[in-house]
Amino acid sequence: MISKSPTFSNPTCANPAYAGGPGFPARAIPLSAILLIAIAVHGPLLLMQLPAGSYDANTHMFFAAHYAQHWFNPWNEKWFGGFSQTTYPPLTHQWIALFSHIMGLKFAYMFVQLIAILLLPIGMYRYAALWVDEVSASYAALGSIFLGSLSMLVYQSGQLPTTAAAALTLNAAPFFYDWLLRSRFLDLLKGVAIAWAAAAAHHVTLLFGAILFAVPVLVLALLDRNAEEIEEDRASVGGVLGRAVVFAVIAIAGVAIVLWPFWVALLKNPITQMPIPHGSRDNYILKTFSGINFWIIPMGAMILALPFIVIRGSAERRLRPLLIGWYITALLGLGGTTPAGKILLGRAYQVLTYERFTFWATIMAMPFVGLLALELIQRFRMKAVVGLTIAAVATMAASVAWIEINPIASSPFSVDQVIAFLNRDDHAKFRYITLGFGAHFAEVSTYAKAGSVDGDYNSARLLPEMTAYGAGQLYNAKYYGLAGMESLRAVLKHANQYGLKYVFVRDRYYEPLLAFAGWREAETYDNGNVTLWTKEDVPPAKRLEFVGFTPTPMEGLMWGILPVASSLFALFLVLLVPERRRVSATLEFPVRATVEPVLLREAK
Amino acid sequence: MKRALPILIIVLTAVLIAMATIQPNELTPATSPDGAVRALFDHVKARDYKGAFAYVANSGDTEEQAFAADLAGRDGSLRTYSSLEQADTKVLHASDNEALVRATLQYATAVGAFYDTRDLKVVREGDRWKVEWPVVQEANVPPQVIQENYLRWDVITRGSNDDWGAQNVEAPRVRIISMNAIAQGANTIIVGEIENEDTVPGFVSVGATLIGKNGDVLGEETSFDKISHTLLPKEISPFRIDFPKTPLATVKSVRMTPNSMLVPASADPVIGVVHQRVETDSRGRHVLKGELINESGVTVNIPHVLATYYDGAGKVIWVSDGYVDNALLPQAPVPFAVDLRDDPASNVHNYRVTVNEYMLQQDE
Repeated sequence: MISKSPTFSNPTCANPAYAGGPGFPARAIPLSAILLIAIAVHGPLLLMQLPAGSYDANTHMFFAAHYAQHWFNPWNEKWFGGFSQTTYPPLTHQWIALFSHIMGLKFAYMFVQLIAILLLPIGMYRYAALWVDEVSASYAALGSIFLGSLSMLVYQSGQLPTTAAAALTLNAAPFFYDWLLRSRFLDLLKGVAIAWAAAAAHHVTLLFGAILFAVPVLVLALLDRNAEEIEEDRASVGGVLGRAVVFAVIAIAGVAIVLWPFWVALLKNPITQMPIPHGSRDNYILKTFSGINFWIIPMGAMILALPFIVIRGSAERRLRPLLIGWYITALLGLGGTTPAGKILLGRAYQVLTYERFTFWATIMAMPFVGLLALELIQRFRMKAVVGLTIAAVATMAASVAWIEINPIASSPFSVDQVIAFLNRDDHAKFRYITLGFGAHFAEVSTYAKAGSVDGDYNSARLLPEMTAYGAGQLYNAKYYGLAGMESLRAVLKHANQYGLKYVFVRDRYYEPLLAFAGWREAETYDNGNVTLWTKEDVPPAKRLEFVGFTPTPMEGLMWGILPVASSLFALFLVLLVPERRRVSATLEFPVRATVEPVLLREAK
Repeated sequence: MKRALPILIIVLTAVLIAMATIQPNELTPATSPDGAVRALFDHVKARDYKGAFAYVANSGDTEEQAFAADLAGRDGSLRTYSSLEQADTKVLHASDNEALVRATLQYATAVGAFYDTRDLKVVREGDRWKVEWPVVQEANVPPQVIQENYLRWDVITRGSNDDWGAQNVEAPRVRIISMNAIAQGANTIIVGEIENEDTVPGFVSVGATLIGKNGDVLGEETSFDKISHTLLPKEISPFRIDFPKTPLATVKSVRMTPNSMLVPASADPVIGVVHQRVETDSRGRHVLKGELINESGVTVNIPHVLATYYDGAGKVIWVSDGYVDNALLPQAPVPFAVDLRDDPASNVHNYRVTVNEYMLQQDE
């Protein structure tokens, strides 16, 4: 799959206007070359383990570390006094866990992230080809490597599951389209198998992203149903809609089974927690930093293409569904800059974060960008190539530079001594929390044997001290204002019940509360950067019973088998079950002398 | 469609952005007394003290710097660890040219919620209302040398290679000398006093377990910050333990667990309490007011006041506490006020105030 150029099912993409106008060689960039460029661009950054300092990478490694040790037991006692990992789709974590036995946890994370990055241009090539010609699609695929939104998600947010699920969703879309138009069972099977794998990677992408991607493709299929040359091959509206329903039913049924323990956990513990503030819900005009971080940098040079996207998307009938889909997604990506999110998403608005919507919007915009690139290259030749290259590279460079200029941790510090302390003697008998550690908390909890009352995945929390307030992690309590500090107070008040003896502090803001509440400073680490506070009368931690929330052994078995199996099944179908399909691109004849020779392709 | 769609997209986007973005001018002159107070505190909330100062009436008499320091805090006080979360206003009375507005302020601080109530005079200046801000002048203490000869206890540990945290010494003897279980609505509250009976200082805490009628545990809580944890020899501290949503009628017995460990300690800083009196404040609630004087030579950044109330028989009937949001500079009096519930207020025969402290300088 990787080494071959994708096949094109779009019957209208043979428009000669797109296939390389006179005067400049415009041909599709081979997918293999695009993938090599992706490796060349992102490989070094991943080898440098740049994502390890991101917001969520350590959280995903924490989940993976648990699977590496307890594949069939998703109950993890190292956060929140105990929580079920069935509250988060496991696919990427389980792949990290598998590779971690070969290359260690951090490199396994980087490797899986690289795979997700490579899947993105592959999916983009195929997805863009639904809308535009092959050459533009190849440009779109190439451009997707340099997306600012991708870099922000990978290197700042550490949202591996989001990037993996989006890439898989893109790969599923063409099979969905082919199934709708041509009713081939193999397309259905491949489409739903990849959709199951995408759902197993990330649930929010399944719930929101898949719809935003799928509906325009469905409308496109309705528009294209009469494009087949042979009348018998043409699909009826009823047929297309019927097949869409069949696809949706099978996909939903499969997702229900593959993620069964997830739905059980969600029903038992629905997300009724107080909304937690997030910068992506800000008004980007009123809060400039959020605007730069969540929109300007992720969009990058694509901002310059917005007029083209709107004008060209409106002008061509086939592109209108994509334009409207992109527009809605982009509106949602604006967070609190418009009331669209609150209106369209209702209560879910306060639960979701919107950087992923901007990511999806930039992905959906790439077919237009590919088209623009082709037209610019045909018109301005090498100048356009240079300009587009600079724009792409600058977009990615700006995002990586932005992350370096605005690091999520104000000053680097080492948690090695903290981990060593927790793993020494019998210290793991007690629980701990960290204050002011930021994303390093997840790193501590990944490698420490002791459990914590805090945790980094808000939806999994069961302790009332944490769910009753509109605050996120305890380690960032002060940033949640009164809600955060009251939540921290409530947890500290019940330190004895939870066996919470150790508090590691890297922000002196928290010291007054600890001092007045009966903790005493005991040790310092990292040249005074971190202090350990202890409370002497705390008994060893007992196992906390969350009756009804612990996954059953059967759920553990399903969780250990089905998500990974869905991805293996999708891989098997795509790689080992080839299909013969008609290449529908029309070749101009006679070929003009000034045009680059067109290579006839063998039907596959 | 070719032309209509782009226009629709552009117009719709502009309208949506305008809906979420366009707000009244933030420095719009206040046209009502409570509007002026609200506007002032809205700017304080955003830490825009310059903007807030624009709503101050006596700006000729009040320095902007002093105004900002009054709101943002100084000397490492609790106010410097605070951010204003909410400001509710209520007009107490108003005439054509002046009004009295009560601002109930809720701060998020390093020790949790902090509430403050200010009655502010608001005056009309032309067509706008402005707030007369009463900036508190800091006591100007002359330079001086303070001799200190306080007691101090040090503890020599065995060495860094010993088992971590193992003291291998007997804990100081502490005893609960008074205890009282009080019903407050659906809550049970345990108040009392603990004494360090030993000749060495102790770090103490008190835990309580409520036992139900059928012997099951109804709840476990600790004194948390409602106690003085460091007790010098023979020193007594009040404590209060709250059990929310546990009616006293369901409690059969209470198991108390005093804990202590040997710690180094000193009698410094000495904080005096003067002018203590129980009053009724402007809201009609009982409060214990007074002044704290830091008699040592170092700044106490965050004082915490614990008040113990006794009935005629000398029994502890209530314990209340409150943080003071001003730092205690050496020799400078700072006022304090802690709430006293109405029901025990009528039975209060005597009271005692003790002060905990947090000092930044201690660890530097």
